[in-house]
Amino acid sequence: MDNEKIIRREKIKNIIFQVAPVVGLIIMFALFMILAVIKDINIPYSMKNILNQSVIVVVVATGAIFIYTLGSFDISLGANMCVSALIGAMAYNRTNSLLAMLAFCLGTAVLISSVCSILASVFNLPVFVTTIAMLSMLNAGVLMLIGANGTGDIVQVPAAAVSAINTTWFKLLVLVAYLAISIFVFNFLKLGRQEKFVGGNPECARLTGLNNSRLAILGFIMAGIGVGLGAFLTITYAPTLSRNTASSVGMDVIISIVFGGMPVSGGSRSKIYSAVVGALSMTLLSQIMLMLNLNSGISQMVKAIIFILVVYISMSDNRKNILPR
Amino acid sequence: MKSMKKVLVLMLSLLLVVGMFGCSKDNDGSGKSTDGIDDSTNVKIGVLVADATGAEALAFRSYYENYIQKQYNVTFMYSDELADAAAEASAIDNFIANNCKAIISFASADRPAQIRKCAENKVYYAVATGTLSDEEYKEFKDNEYYVGAIGPDLYTEYLAGYNMAKYYLDQGKTKFAVFGGATPYYVDMHIYRTAGILVALCEAGGGNYNGASDMGSMIGTIYGMNCQLTPAVIGSVELVSYIGGYDFDDAWFGKLAEAANNPSVEVLLAVGSGLDTFAAFKKPNQFLGTVDAYTADAVKAMEAGTLNYLAGKFSASIGPIFMATLSAVQGKPIRTANGEALALSQGYWVATSADEAKNFYAVDSSTTDPAYTRAMLDTLFGASYDDFAKFVGAFSFEEIQNLKK
Repeated sequence: MDNEKIIRREKIKNIIFQVAPVVGLIIMFALFMILAVIKDINIPYSMKNILNQSVIVVVVATGAIFIYTLGSFDISLGANMCVSALIGAMAYNRTNSLLAMLAFCLGTAVLISSVCSILASVFNLPVFVTTIAMLSMLNAGVLMLIGANGTGDIVQVPAAAVSAINTTWFKLLVLVAYLAISIFVFNFLKLGRQEKFVGGNPECARLTGLNNSRLAILGFIMAGIGVGLGAFLTITYAPTLSRNTASSVGMDVIISIVFGGMPVSGGSRSKIYSAVVGALSMTLLSQIMLMLNLNSGISQMVKAIIFILVVYISMSDNRKNILPR
Repeated sequence: MKSMKKVLVLMLSLLLVVGMFGCSKDNDGSGKSTDGIDDSTNVKIGVLVADATGAEALAFRSYYENYIQKQYNVTFMYSDELADAAAEASAIDNFIANNCKAIISFASADRPAQIRKCAENKVYYAVATGTLSDEEYKEFKDNEYYVGAIGPDLYTEYLAGYNMAKYYLDQGKTKFAVFGGATPYYVDMHIYRTAGILVALCEAGGGNYNGASDMGSMIGTIYGMNCQLTPAVIGSVELVSYIGGYDFDDAWFGKLAEAANNPSVEVLLAVGSGLDTFAAFKKPNQFLGTVDAYTADAVKAMEAGTLNYLAGKFSASIGPIFMATLSAVQGKPIRTANGEALALSQGYWVATSADEAKNFYAVDSSTTDPAYTRAMLDTLFGASYDDFAKFVGAFSFEEIQNLKK
């Protein structure tokens, strides 16, 4: 009887942990709507704004989940996105073709991501080590690209060229398409299951015959596609690029993934929808802070406290497990 | 009975006082002041900032939040520190969603995009402490939602650098080290100040810097060098050392220290952030000049002899652009005779002694009696372009004190 109770309690606890991020998002949305009504905010514009501000982080973070599930992380995502966007913009300026811009954004991002993971497997290093080295190289690359372009400290695509695709519908289309592919790959193909296994226990996965390096390369390729799409959407939203472009994306991705309920150690409890839930929650939180006209210092502190709380709660779920991760 | 009467009299007196105050604030019953400013409705104004923590940025913010916001029925919403054009676009979206009627911008990653977005959404837009390029002004001057720009124009920036260098050249100094600030990042403001310094060196030394010796050619030369300048002997004077950028790493600090430690260097000049760069390394026999802001630290540095020349923007200099913006929001835009947006230049307050700096700072940091008070700004509401331009043009400390009287 006691055992049944314990099992039931654990089941309930598990369900709570599963739905907590979504419930958090719903609460955040409700709070946002209440404040919006009280403060007489332009709600339709706000909705559009929330989508605009979330979409890039959602796309990049969705890709990054393929890396985080392995129990790894990529510190160079923002720099990769900046380089990809710069090359995409330069490609547009040479060809006047948006398709070429998209192709160069995607190609560059996937190439950079692949190089990170291939180097890691060649030198038998943890992948995050190569991403640290890649970060330095990409930062230098950004300065070289901007210098080589010869247009001062910016690279610009004419605003008129991208205005036609700088619409809510286009962004939603890109987001839904990439999400659908990612959900399919993560939940219905072997790759997702194997990644969870490696993230949960890499040694056990290796002994079972899984090729960890191959999985890392595939995971990084999926992340690269997200970064490339993020770079493309960045150009459409703000076609003036500088060395600071996407500088906050790396951190936003980490925060979003954690906010979305993804365990920082990856493994079997990884969820592809964490990116959507987390990025939307984070944007809503920012909007609430703005409506309350709190200064940015206080906003950052509130976010930091919530971040620590979320990580603490998500890790407390693991403490009693026999095999953590 | 007697005490009842007393209470009644007291209550009536209170009512009278309250009534009087009410009438004085709302004398025509529509919430409009005598100058026509509508104080009955709160106006939300978004402020875009590229720097949220610098001394100058904090002084500007203090003037808006601790003085203007208390004087007028306005609410300022500040953005986070904006690093790029995408962040600027997001911040503008945030302001529009929050029903801001106008945006005052201190951020310049992509000004044309900012103006376009504001105009599309019928939100007024103004540039504080800066100017648009000639091409940009041509594109937006007729846009009804572009209020205009008030701030040091590029020639004023050039003169700020030129006058600072000349001040020391006139004292017979010949060996200089220069911190070029954001010149390597192609920031026009710093490029022009640097060009001013170099032209002053050329004039005094009777030489040229990589073939350039006047303003036009110097700007061309700096751009031609991809804004990466190098030391040079310029006739009888010498640019012994040059450091640019804001890397804030060990190598960067090392270069600053090396420049200051060079025994031949007599004068350290900074086109910005002189206190954050050279001040820590300056030797007692050297002189330090900078273009910066009037802060408590700057005054202390002048008193200690660490800083000897300060050309600074005064925080209330952003008062007129606020009033032009409020005028536009309340239906009285200030435009030229041709209906074009404002494009007015303001200069710096220059202090060469601790007493001067103290005097300037006392006025500049006041939240009760700043350089531009409400009484002064109210005269600008719906003013003619000429009157407005005359007010802005009288920017020196003495002129402003006279205006106050």
